[in-house]
Amino acid sequence: MNGKAVVVGVGESAYYKHGGAPDTEFQLACTAIKNAVADAGLELSDVDGLISYMDNRNSPLRLADALGLGDLKWSVTPWAGGGNNSSATMHLADAAVSAGHAEVVVAFRALAQGQFQRLGSGAGLMSGAAPEGLSWGLPYGLMTPAQECALQTNRWMHDHGVSQEALASVSLACYANAQLNPRAVRYGRPLTREDYHDSRWIVEPFHLFDCCMENDGASAVVVTTPERAKDLKAGGVPILATAQGKGPEIGIHSFQQRWFPGMYYEGVADQIWNRSGQKPTDVDVVQMYENFTGPVLMALCEMGYCEPGEVEAFVGDGRLEGPDAAVPFNTSGGNIAEAYIHGLEMVVEAVRQVRGESTCQAKDVELSLAVGGPGYAPGSAVLFGPSL
Amino acid sequence: MPRYLGDDFLLPNLTPNNTPFFTSGEITIQFCDDCGHAQHPPDDICYACQGTNLSFRACAGTGTVESCARVHHPLHPVLADRVPYVIAIVSVDGAPGCNVQGNVVNCDAESVAIGQKVRAVYEEIDDPQSGEKLRIPQWEPAGG
Repeated sequence: MNGKAVVVGVGESAYYKHGGAPDTEFQLACTAIKNAVADAGLELSDVDGLISYMDNRNSPLRLADALGLGDLKWSVTPWAGGGNNSSATMHLADAAVSAGHAEVVVAFRALAQGQFQRLGSGAGLMSGAAPEGLSWGLPYGLMTPAQECALQTNRWMHDHGVSQEALASVSLACYANAQLNPRAVRYGRPLTREDYHDSRWIVEPFHLFDCCMENDGASAVVVTTPERAKDLKAGGVPILATAQGKGPEIGIHSFQQRWFPGMYYEGVADQIWNRSGQKPTDVDVVQMYENFTGPVLMALCEMGYCEPGEVEAFVGDGRLEGPDAAVPFNTSGGNIAEAYIHGLEMVVEAVRQVRGESTCQAKDVELSLAVGGPGYAPGSAVLFGPSL
Repeated sequence: MPRYLGDDFLLPNLTPNNTPFFTSGEITIQFCDDCGHAQHPPDDICYACQGTNLSFRACAGTGTVESCARVHHPLHPVLADRVPYVIAIVSVDGAPGCNVQGNVVNCDAESVAIGQKVRAVYEEIDDPQSGEKLRIPQWEPAGG
């Protein structure tokens, strides 16, 4: 917080379509970590902390042994397993470094959805061994995040008069920005508004292009002290503020009237803006995790960018598209068009914006925000910059 | 009535907390005996007063569609010829703050709408796993 921890390295594997990686998930994790540490100008033996997501399959001990990392003094994950963890990894890295528990902490996420299964596919529920929490929806064919987020979005659109065009605008911005990013899985595959509307329904109001992709790949971010950063080639991108927030348990809990409809970002917003002393209009560029487009609109409102009744105008007319956008947004293409590494690739992009290294570089970036996956508590966010 | 998604579709795994809902043949909600708070899903403690004197009560069996969505992508092989189907969130009359999940049945999927009044109907099927007779709550338009 307040720059007591800084990002000094980012890296990734190549990003692949679902099932497209020639490497195992563990190899992808190792590649991303090696690339991020090299980007920082550090040695693997300097790393003394590892952070991933709660359902991470790549053991920190196996990684540390295989990569020759230093003694692991900080090896943790946030609660909950999905994309809501993305910016929370920066919260835990910041805590470790600023309190002196570890000096070089790497946050990583590795996914090979072709080798395992898509998060939220519902595939694990088909055996009839679903836990009690899922039993409330299972007999009704209500068992995936797409369906849960559709129910949230439909009610919110109904209450605030939001149209399908607003959802389309989010997807189109991600696709437009991905056309500038050779790393993006959807690079060279532009999307038109007509393509969007012609694509098949998954669950209304979500077309295929309202949903994040399925991918294989890994991303990593290296965090250290400002003192250590001074000696490193890449300089440093300070963590100004981080936050996690309260919300309901997943599933039926999230549909109770005290929570519904909502993305549970009001508390995260309060913390981010109060801790940093900034406000949404101060931020130069925003990466907002898209599990689905509807939750992005809801989270934008809850983070304080606009009121629900204004969201149509806020995202319409290409206002989110390109480096000169009114609100530079998901500049790498995000989960919808760069790669779905559960949002850690968007934290990487938020850092690149402050460094001036994005393929869709916004002008004069000092403050760069990354918001974690909406609709699944605890939510998280991180505000970076200005560069050291 | 036959099951909306077919008799071969997935059944709930019965647990102490969900058995009343899925077997009683009524819209059964958990209430706190100490403070009167209604909560869904049932849990081991009252979320309002943190008491542990909790019991199940049958509600009137009517409610309102709070949200709904038509599902087009079949997630299970047996759903391939049953899409599109409608999933819904229904607020339960007599249980303030409580919403349940379900389908809206006995009507055209296109006709289901937020704010619609509905009443409970039940899918009856034997659960081969527990040996219990399941009465899975569903909702149909209340009409009028």
